[in-house]
Amino acid sequence: MESLIQNFFNLEIYAAVFPYLLRGLWTTVWLSALVIPLGAAAGLALALGLTQSDSRAVRWSIVGYIDFFRAFPPLVLLILIYFGGPFLGIELGKVTAVALAFVLNNASYYAEVFRAGLEGVAKGQMEAARSTGLTRAQALRHVVVPQAVKNVVPDLVGNSIEIVKLTSIASVVAMPELLRAARDAQSLVFNPSPVMLAAFMYLALLWPLTRWLGRLEHRRARR
Amino acid sequence: MTGGDSGFFFTFFNLAVAKQYWPNIAAGMLVTVGVGIAVVVTGTVLGLWLAVVRALGRRALALPIVAFADIMRSLPPLVVLIVLYFGLPALGLPLSAFAVTWLSLSLVLAAYAEESIWAGICAVPSGQLEAARSTGMRWWQAMRWVVLPQALRRAVPPLTNRVISITKNTALGSVVALNEILNNAQGASSYSGNPTPLTMAAFAYLVVFLPLVVLSRWLEQRWQRR
Amino acid sequence: MPILEVTGLRKSYGSTEVLRGVDLHVNAGELVCVIGPSGSGKSTMLRCCNLLETPTGGRILANGHDVTSATVDINRLRQDIGMVFQQFNLYPHLTALDNVSLALRKVQRRPKAEAEALAQVALEQVGLGGKARSFPAELSGGQQQRVGIARAVALKPHVILFDEPTSALDPELVEDVLNVMRDLRQRGMTMLVVTHEMSFAHAAADRVVFMDGGVVVEQGSAADMFERPREARTQSFLARYGSRRS
Repeated sequence: MESLIQNFFNLEIYAAVFPYLLRGLWTTVWLSALVIPLGAAAGLALALGLTQSDSRAVRWSIVGYIDFFRAFPPLVLLILIYFGGPFLGIELGKVTAVALAFVLNNASYYAEVFRAGLEGVAKGQMEAARSTGLTRAQALRHVVVPQAVKNVVPDLVGNSIEIVKLTSIASVVAMPELLRAARDAQSLVFNPSPVMLAAFMYLALLWPLTRWLGRLEHRRARR
Repeated sequence: MTGGDSGFFFTFFNLAVAKQYWPNIAAGMLVTVGVGIAVVVTGTVLGLWLAVVRALGRRALALPIVAFADIMRSLPPLVVLIVLYFGLPALGLPLSAFAVTWLSLSLVLAAYAEESIWAGICAVPSGQLEAARSTGMRWWQAMRWVVLPQALRRAVPPLTNRVISITKNTALGSVVALNEILNNAQGASSYSGNPTPLTMAAFAYLVVFLPLVVLSRWLEQRWQRR
Repeated sequence: MPILEVTGLRKSYGSTEVLRGVDLHVNAGELVCVIGPSGSGKSTMLRCCNLLETPTGGRILANGHDVTSATVDINRLRQDIGMVFQQFNLYPHLTALDNVSLALRKVQRRPKAEAEALAQVALEQVGLGGKARSFPAELSGGQQQRVGIARAVALKPHVILFDEPTSALDPELVEDVLNVMRDLRQRGMTMLVVTHEMSFAHAAADRVVFMDGGVVVEQGSAADMFERPREARTQSFLARYGSRRS
């Protein structure tokens, strides 16, 4: 018991490494803030292409993209881009490699979410909008897409929370986010307490968001 | 950089290197699939059991379950893995990399499974349980034959997506030296100084997971028509 | 020259022929009602007029423009042909005012203030001036349909198409919508109405068209059609549904 506290809940060590971990947390936050909007925008574009295109080739390639990146583990993608790039003569900075891997990966999940949202909007909405002379693009922009997005807000939030958690894999390529900071601290103090502290910090950040997500889902189920 | 088209293929699709290391990658595939199946089985069974216990309605049981689900869904799986990897030996339970990866991912899957199945149970009208009980069935019989079949029908589509996401995390096992695909590929790559094993790893993952993704898409369409 | 002229209209879905050569016309200021059994192609015919369905044959002229030509500017044309739907199809995320003003702002490119003023006038015309800031979910079915009418009217089209406008309404709310339609007629709007409301057709329409099996079986003044139908099919249809709402 004693050793458990010494090794995992060592308050002295917590205090010592906390500032360091806090910087890591900041990296986690801005990395998420960078990747989430990019992934969501790409996902929306893919979903629009998928639901609006008349070309079978276009639809099938989009589905192909989505399924490919849903099947491909993000860690492997990251490693391939980060370590494989230099062999192609492409030297991507850490942030670019991580951002690229994340956006490629989660655009496919966002695309699925937006696709469900777009398919859930009644067909009559597009018809009514077109019948007043709006072009297809205008009808999408002002009538269909706003409704689609509103219907899938809980799924968008849920997906975004997943991305915040996903940033932890960037620790493998030594990106100084929260988990990396904790593991570096761990090797400095020869004690796993920093990792435990990082776990608490993830909880502090994400548990409230997960609860809020639960409320959003509950509200949607009742409508 | 080795220039020219042949350069790219020589680098990433080097047949000599591939020939040398494919048994290595194949062994990794066995481990990946093995951990994956183990995680799916234990994770879903545990999640189902937790949801049923929660359905009993006793606060003392429900609260820890909700806390468990919330915590496991709020932590990155890699963090869970690392905490258990260093934590269990300290508790006198040194586990192999396989076991630790299996345990962490099972706990995470169990949390999501519990939430999905619980949502399914809540969606079944209470009249169903009442009707079943009124014919003399015991509570657990009513659950087994009347409520759960309906609950699972609703829970399965979102759950299949979750299962795929979480089993892809077996790649995280490479961080704690589990000899699955990525780990073996990384070792082979640095040993041979050539990234072909990484390309092979990419194919290996696609071979394992792409069929699952296609299957889940098909399942989703089938369930939706009911 | 008629505002709307349909000649030899044909429409097939795969091997099923729904419209087999429909001829009808609507003159300026007329209210023409189209009646007939389910499956007769009435709604399909109507939806061809603003190209929500694409005809497989025949010609439609709206205000002199050929709707069926390959080079038609459909968005321009749809500002001129209004439509009111059976299911209302109001935009649930916009207020009544925004529902009506959206096309004014985005299609006719009017400035916001001007568009909203025009929209307010249209809403007042249908008796809903006070509900401008309400959302569709806060309105009754009859009110929603009247907003739908305002949405069509605001663009000042030459003709408005009504696709069974009261079929989805509870009986008590039907009369409000019919009153708005009568009022529109009084103000000189050209209207083509597919409906099951026989007493409305009898009393308010200038002409009535009876369709069955994808063709126009008979047409004439409301009085002639309801009191002196000539064709056997018309007679049996009216005998069953005559003055009742079907």
